Amino acid sequence: MNEILSIQNLSKNFGKIKAVDDLSFTVEKGTVYGILGPNGSGKTTTLSVITGVLHPASGSYRWFGNKPGKWERKRMGSLIEIPNFYPYLTLFQNLQIVARIKNVQEEDINRVLGITDLLRRKYSRFDTLSLGMKQRLSFASVLLGDPEVLVLDEPANGLDPEGIAEVRKIIMSERDKGKTIIIASHILDEVEKVCTHVGILKMGKLIASGRVDKLLVMDRVVTMSAPDNTKLKEILEKSGLVKSIKEDVDSITATILSETEPGEINKYVIEKGITLTRLEVNKPTLESQFLELVREQN
Amino acid sequence: MKKLLKNELTKTLNYASFKVIMTLHFVLFLLIIIVFSRIDIAVPGFSMRNLFRFPDVWATFAWIASWFNILLAILVIVLVGNEFSFRTFRQQVINGLSVEDLVIGKGIIIFLIALYSLLLVFLSGSVFGIIFSHNFEFADLFSKSYLLAVYFIQAVGYMIIGMLFAIIFRNNSLSIIMFLLYFIFIEPIIRRFFSPEVRQFFPVKIISHLTPPPEVLTIASEKTIENSTGTSNFDFESIGLIPHQLSLFVTLLLAIGFIALFVFLIFQIMRRRDL
Repeated sequence: MNEILSIQNLSKNFGKIKAVDDLSFTVEKGTVYGILGPNGSGKTTTLSVITGVLHPASGSYRWFGNKPGKWERKRMGSLIEIPNFYPYLTLFQNLQIVARIKNVQEEDINRVLGITDLLRRKYSRFDTLSLGMKQRLSFASVLLGDPEVLVLDEPANGLDPEGIAEVRKIIMSERDKGKTIIIASHILDEVEKVCTHVGILKMGKLIASGRVDKLLVMDRVVTMSAPDNTKLKEILEKSGLVKSIKEDVDSITATILSETEPGEINKYVIEKGITLTRLEVNKPTLESQFLELVREQN
Repeated sequence: MKKLLKNELTKTLNYASFKVIMTLHFVLFLLIIIVFSRIDIAVPGFSMRNLFRFPDVWATFAWIASWFNILLAILVIVLVGNEFSFRTFRQQVINGLSVEDLVIGKGIIIFLIALYSLLLVFLSGSVFGIIFSHNFEFADLFSKSYLLAVYFIQAVGYMIIGMLFAIIFRNNSLSIIMFLLYFIFIEPIIRRFFSPEVRQFFPVKIISHLTPPPEVLTIASEKTIENSTGTSNFDFESIGLIPHQLSLFVTLLLAIGFIALFVFLIFQIMRRRDL
C-alpha cells in the first residue's frame, strides 16, 4: 500500500465563495508533498477537510486507503493554522491531553519537548509562551508518538529566522526517516528546499502538480551594475551565459540559464575588464512563477 | 473512555473559574441551609423545623439545591464555550477524536457535576435530618429519598440545556445571555400564547417543576396568584411557584424525554456543522 492520501474531486465552498474547487491529487508513501499557493488559494481549507474539521461539499478523500475516521487521524500529526491549546494549562498538561487522544505513552512528551527546545518550559502555562514558542509547541504536539504522516500548514509561520531553520531541520530529519509529509506554504523557497512533490493551488483549483525538480525549474534573474552598463550588456550578450538581457536606467537585468552560477558571470566580466559595482540574484517570486506556470498551461 | 475521562478532568479541574464557581456553590449552599434552619416562623401548628426532619428534609434540600442549577448550567456553558473559543474542539478532532467523543466528554463532566451536587444534598440532608429529627423510623429516612434522584435528573437537565445553548451559539457571553433570556422571558412569553393545558409541557417548565418548594411555602404563593390575575402572573410562574397539575412521575418522564431530545439535537448539530 503505497498510497497515503488520495483526494478525488474535492470541493468546499463558504457561501458563494469556492474555497476548494474540484481538487484531486494523491500523495505516495515517503514523499514530501508541498501544497503551494498564495494566501486565500484554499490550502488551509484543503488541509482542514482532510483532517476532519470541515465537511466537504462534494468529492471524497481517503487516508491509508480507508474511509477517513478518527483512527486514521490518530496516526497523523497535524498542525493546522494557529496553535490551539488550553491557555491555562501547562505545556506538559496540554501534551498529556494530546498523548491520551493519540494513545501515546506520556514518556514521549519529554522527547518532543526536547526536540523543540521547550523542556525548560515544561511546567509553564501555555499563555506565558511567546508566539514562536507556541508554534514550536504545536510542532512538539505534531511529533508526539512519532506519527507516520505529518500534515503541516505554514509550519514556519510566526517563527524567527533561527526558528525557521530549526523547523526546516526537523522536517528534513522526519523526511529522511521515511515519513510522508504534506506541507502547505506560500513560500516558494520553503517548498523548494524540503519537498519532493508539489501541487500548485490557485483560487481553489490545482493548476499544476508533479515532482519539484521538474515543476519548479526556473531561470534566475540577476541584476547588475557596472560603471559602463552599455559595455557590460554587449559583453554579456556575447558570453553565452544569459538567455535575455534588458537595460534599465542604472542597471541591467539578465535572465541567466539555470545551469549558470551568478559567480561565473562575475568571473567572466572581470576577465573582460569590467568590475561590477552590484550583482544581485533575485529570487523569482511565487507570483511570477505562477504567471509562468499559468502561461505554460495555456 | 477512561482516557476521555482523564482528559476532561485535566481540563476542568485546572480551570480557575471552575474552582471558583464550585467553591461558591458549596459555600452558598451550606450558608443558605444553615440560615434557613435558624429561621423560625411562628405559625400555629407549623414549625420551620419540620422542613429539616426526615423525610421532608429531602424535599427541602432538593428544592434549595435547585436554586443553583442555573449556576451549574452557566458553568457548563463556559466549559463548552471555551472549547470553541480556544479552538480546542477543532484541535481534538484533528488529533484524533470524533465529534461524538467531544460530546461524550462533556457529558461525563455534566454527569460528574450532577453526581457531586447530589452527594452534597445527600450528605447535608443526612446531617440536618439527624440533628432535627428527634426520633425517626428507618422507613421515614428513605420514604422521600427518591427526590434525590429527581433532583439529579433536574440538574442534568439544566446543564444539558446549557450545553445545547453553548453549542448553538459557540460564544460564551452570547450563550449565557440567550440561556438566561430563554429561561426568564422567552419561554414564559411563548407559553402565554398557549392554553394552560399545553403550557405545562414546555421544557423549562417541566424541568424546573421537578423540585417543587415545600408545601407550606406554596400555600402562601397560591393566594398571591389568585389575587393578581393578569400581568404579574408569569413572575410567579417563572420562578416555579405555581402548583402544577402533572404528577411528579409524569413530569419526571417528560423531563427525561426532553433531556434525550436535547442530547439528540446536540449530536446532530455537532455532526453537521463544520468545526
